[in-house]
Amino acid sequence: MSRPNSSYEPQLVNRAGDVLGDDGIETLDFDRAVAELDGLNGSYAVRVEPAQDVRELLPYLEHIARFDIVFPGYRDGRGYSSARILRDAGYKGALRAVGDVLRDQVFIMLRCGFDEFLLKDRTPSETVVAAAKRYSVTYQSAADAATPVWALRRAGAA
Amino acid sequence: MYQYDAFDHAFIRDRVADFSDQVARRLSGELTEDQFKPLRLMNGLYLQLHAYMLRIAIPYGLLAPRQMRRFAHIARTYDRGFGHFTTRTNLQFHWIKLAETPQILTELAEVEMHSLQTSGNCIRNTTSDHFAAAAKDEFEDPRPWCELIRQWSSNHPEFSFLPRKFKIAITAAVKDRAAIRLHDIGLHLTPQGFDVYVGGGMGRTPALAHCIRRGLPGSRLLGYLEACLRVYNRYGRRDNSFKARIKILVNALGPDEYKRQVEAEWATMDASRIDPPSDEIERIRAFFPLPDLSDAAFDAAAHARAETADPGFARWVKNNTHPHKRDNHVSVTISLKPIGGTPGDASADQMDVMADMAETYGYNELRITHEQNVVLPHVARADLYALYRRLDAAGLGTANAGKITDIICCPGLDYCSLANARSIPLAQEISRRFEDARLSDKIGDLQIKMSGCINACGHHHVGHIGILGVDKQGVEFYQILLGGRADEKAALGVITGKGLPAEAVPGAVERVAQLYLKLRKDDNEPFIDTLERLGREAFAEALHEPA
Repeated sequence: MSRPNSSYEPQLVNRAGDVLGDDGIETLDFDRAVAELDGLNGSYAVRVEPAQDVRELLPYLEHIARFDIVFPGYRDGRGYSSARILRDAGYKGALRAVGDVLRDQVFIMLRCGFDEFLLKDRTPSETVVAAAKRYSVTYQSAADAATPVWALRRAGAA
Repeated sequence: MYQYDAFDHAFIRDRVADFSDQVARRLSGELTEDQFKPLRLMNGLYLQLHAYMLRIAIPYGLLAPRQMRRFAHIARTYDRGFGHFTTRTNLQFHWIKLAETPQILTELAEVEMHSLQTSGNCIRNTTSDHFAAAAKDEFEDPRPWCELIRQWSSNHPEFSFLPRKFKIAITAAVKDRAAIRLHDIGLHLTPQGFDVYVGGGMGRTPALAHCIRRGLPGSRLLGYLEACLRVYNRYGRRDNSFKARIKILVNALGPDEYKRQVEAEWATMDASRIDPPSDEIERIRAFFPLPDLSDAAFDAAAHARAETADPGFARWVKNNTHPHKRDNHVSVTISLKPIGGTPGDASADQMDVMADMAETYGYNELRITHEQNVVLPHVARADLYALYRRLDAAGLGTANAGKITDIICCPGLDYCSLANARSIPLAQEISRRFEDARLSDKIGDLQIKMSGCINACGHHHVGHIGILGVDKQGVEFYQILLGGRADEKAALGVITGKGLPAEAVPGAVERVAQLYLKLRKDDNEPFIDTLERLGREAFAEALHEPA
């Protein structure tokens, strides 16, 4: 849906900047996950397109080790809401951003609860580590551990 | 006004560093224009027809004199000596060099200003009543709530890539001067809490917002907004940018179903993490005290003598002052609509004069209005004549606030790459036709709003007379809308008659105005009331040259 944004090959890194290899987890598409996860044992990854409602998978979180949240173009921001809904629902497994994932999105992805990135970047490891430190101040609560400014102000005043 | 603390300063510093890095990557060629575009748009930097345009946020239109002076300095140093105030109460510089933008942003940050979220598909600058904290008809100062929303929406991680841009307006007065029903979300603060209106807007599919909740407590406001935005972020259309605003979603679902989804979403959220405790709004409120207004007695006799001696002053007092909570004060509108000028433009020297006037007579406060004028909200009546003479000497004394020559106008094809037609030259010509002060005063309140394309930056849908520039096989044409209004009786204008070539538009406006003078019940019936009483069709014929 958008033109290619980066000529770099995507590389998989985690939030610490470690390059990840194939974890061997079987990936289900969304419809299959909704239909079959109830009867399956073991642990799976589920690929979620922007229009798919992650809430349909909340009953099966114990079977899901990873979500691959797809960003078909960087302008499509639905994946941020999907990630937050999963984290708010108590999902503790991996959240991987895949698709049109560029360095300037990493900071807000971290805030929405993503912890793995299939990133198109010249220096993906350094980029993810730097992105986490990009802003020292956050004004609102999200899915990460950052304390919103209003709470820091209260703590300072107390 | 609100003052940054260490947190706010740190945020802006980080953001300037971020953007400086992006500009450096673009200048070195590491980023292509395609890759750079979404990044510069996050920082209010547009590539226009002739140069880069930088749009600077003026949160809820509120400015301190030192900030206005900084604009003057930037206009002189980095632009061509002037700036343009917009209908979003922001300021645009139209002749910016990319390599100088980090320096400009650094200079802005020094006076607690920035260009964040003045473009892109994110939550834009929240606007409000330009007479906030001064008007008699107000229930509570809305600006602390604007500031709360500004902070909550800054770099919001979930809502930085919405389907389309998102605009919020707040009023707390009986008269709506903030056009809340023409916003994605309009908030009306009443003694019972916030009435929440959703789904208004202009553009090619204009719509009035629907009230989906009444009396929302302020302590729950941000959580409710977050729910409204999440439903929009997930389900707003992304396949067609012209159908991507929230108004399309609300109309497709119906306001009741949209509300149901919002409230279901709201119920899943942990409000205690989103809504700060009440001490945060109290902390912010403490930055907005009413200034220590002078008790100086108003010498009515001296004022009357000045009005008699200087009829220009008398007109200006009549047209450009607004009643104040305190009877010995008024709010003053400084018109940026001189006859034949470019609506909303101010020179660097004029910016300095306005800053001086705010310091000398205006308790250090300036406001930008969505009508593209500047307001001094608190001025002692005793100072009016001295103020007027200083403004008039600087070309800022035009006595036309709310009148037919106080035209809202987008930059149009003279600057904007989206425009189909020019708007500034036409606004200038209409303004010249009504240069005669007696005629313009006789016509009274009549709002003309003009856009150079269907995106409606000039608010043509809500002009009493709206003018829309279109391209008809390579020729500029103008459609005339009648009957729009943006106030508490908000209504959308309707295209009336056939499109007109540019040279026919001023005559059409003149004939409509003259017909109104003939048809009105008495001198006190404003144009919009006559139009609503008689219907648009009564004026349709006047748009066209008599055969």
